[in-house]
Amino acid sequence: MEKTLSEYISLSKNIEDVNFDKKLKVAILSSFTLNGLSEILHVKCSELGIRYQSYVAGYNQYNQELLDTESQYYKFSPDVTFLLIDIRNFLGENFHFPYDMSDDQRKSLVNEKINHLENIIKNFEKNLNTKLIIANFNIPSYSPNGIIETKSNFGFHEMIEEINKSLRDISKKQNSVYVYDFNQFISKHGEKNVFDYRQFHLGDIQIALNFLPYFAYDLMGYIKPISGTNRKCIVLDLDNTLWGGIVGEDGFDGIELGHSANGKAFVDFQKELLSMWNQGIILAINSKNNLDDAMKVIKEHPNMILKEKNFASVKINWNDKAQNLKQISDEINIGLNSIVFFDDDKLNRERIKQEFPEVLTIELPDDPSQFLPILKDLNDFNVLQRTKEDVERGQMYAQQRERNEFEKSVSNLDDFLDQLDIQVKMKKSNEFLIPRISQLTLKTNQFNLTTKRYQEEEIRNFTNNGDFIVGCAQVIDKFGDNGITGVYIINKQDKLWNIDTFLLSCRIMGRGVENGILSQILIDAKKNGVEEIHANFIPTQKNKPAENFLSDSGFKKEGDSWIYKLNNEIKLPKHLKVEIE
Amino acid sequence: MIDDVNEIVAKVFSISESQVNDESSPENIESWDSFNGLVLVDELENHFKVKFTISEITDVKNVADIKRHLKNHNVS
Repeated sequence: MEKTLSEYISLSKNIEDVNFDKKLKVAILSSFTLNGLSEILHVKCSELGIRYQSYVAGYNQYNQELLDTESQYYKFSPDVTFLLIDIRNFLGENFHFPYDMSDDQRKSLVNEKINHLENIIKNFEKNLNTKLIIANFNIPSYSPNGIIETKSNFGFHEMIEEINKSLRDISKKQNSVYVYDFNQFISKHGEKNVFDYRQFHLGDIQIALNFLPYFAYDLMGYIKPISGTNRKCIVLDLDNTLWGGIVGEDGFDGIELGHSANGKAFVDFQKELLSMWNQGIILAINSKNNLDDAMKVIKEHPNMILKEKNFASVKINWNDKAQNLKQISDEINIGLNSIVFFDDDKLNRERIKQEFPEVLTIELPDDPSQFLPILKDLNDFNVLQRTKEDVERGQMYAQQRERNEFEKSVSNLDDFLDQLDIQVKMKKSNEFLIPRISQLTLKTNQFNLTTKRYQEEEIRNFTNNGDFIVGCAQVIDKFGDNGITGVYIINKQDKLWNIDTFLLSCRIMGRGVENGILSQILIDAKKNGVEEIHANFIPTQKNKPAENFLSDSGFKKEGDSWIYKLNNEIKLPKHLKVEIE
Repeated sequence: MIDDVNEIVAKVFSISESQVNDESSPENIESWDSFNGLVLVDELENHFKVKFTISEITDVKNVADIKRHLKNHNVS
């Protein structure tokens, strides 16, 4: 259940977030009254462990704030800006009298308005290197032209559609600009509900106060990937979650999957899960069941949409579900805070909520037809850009399962590593790689020396700055391509290089890849006449796996830094091939 | 039912219920500004399942007025 605005406002007064390590500066610029929005975002961010700071521009001051480089808004220097302009304000009197103008006049008005928006956005981009989320415009359900609106030449609705289309085109061209589909928000909740004429006339409120929490929920869809609090794995129960009934009791032929109304609901739910898997969401099973009964359904049931290969981890047993979930998280090597848990059984859900509050446990009603809309409503799986690694993730985890089985069949770790045929391809950052490099700095917690988080814009700045080396590594082995899974950023100072960032995706930890990458950096430094490499290890709750990396690699601690003197011979690990591209 | 009003007023303006009486108004409750007044209307409407008119909303000068208008909407 969503809280009310009043509950959010009172909660926002007592937030203790000074110790949160994640910070986010949010600016809200709007043409109409949006009091309360910032309070809701504040509460929602604190629930995710984000320290929220905000700048809310004065009523309808967005234009001045964006155009004046000396404005308070630019001084605040936000990480993300929400720009929300309403169509009444934007078209002025023409909103009421669109057909007092000729077709040509309407067209030139729209062009003028589009130029205005482009100008604002250009100014933003010149002054700030962060994210701009601009809302598109609501197309009213009403037209003064009535039923012949769709026959009108460049009509009232078409005017707004044209502006929306231009916004979309701008956001396709500009990496840092995103369009929030406000028109769709109105469709979802209904114009008659969201637009309250009383609140509008009383205080220029254009999103009814009881819908403001839902509006904020949508905006969190941007904040989550920007702050790295989005999720990437769905763990599913089987009986009454992926199919109706209990396979151990009702039997293979007795479960509901396809045909009946409930059976169709389960099939549809599975289709959406498969569609998400195709976009890079990891799926896993956590079920109390007889393994053979359940696997027979997964492998042989004609209406089963999800197949064995879609699951990165399968726990079908009679063990404690919390313990299973922990094992799944270890096995696929992702944090519990990246997991969403679906289970029809209330007791199981309570167990997980109590043991692992960081897992998002979804409250499911008894009616399976509601599972799909609940899944579609989640804003947790958003990404700022879909990288090649995202799309291929499902496949990579399938390869990972093969790798694990292979590891079990080989007697010791060295043999395993030798036989994996690991290739590490080192690449310098470029426009194509920047999104993935940024994504890794935002999401990598374990093998990460400094845990510095960088947005795409910051990575782009480093890449274009001659004093920095931004590099990454693609790792390939006999089971397949792991994609770009290592990142390093070096600050060059003549005879001294400083390692600003060094991280490895959890996907390839434990295979000595870090040694290959580091050796190559050392060789490169030596070639450039560098004498010392400096590095830091900044401990966090999660980066223990990287704790001994520097000392194991021959760095010596001096004061706060770890230092490597380049007069020694540099050894390359034998079990892998390093290539430079 | 209508006794819930004081509790809602207290919640919206973040004060204790004992501080709320029929004479409570924007004059003596600091956080009762025009925006929070509308938040109060929203809470009351959701709680009592009523819709006030603009005139009723602008007419409210204190808690007693709220109760009077609620009675006109058959809330007792």
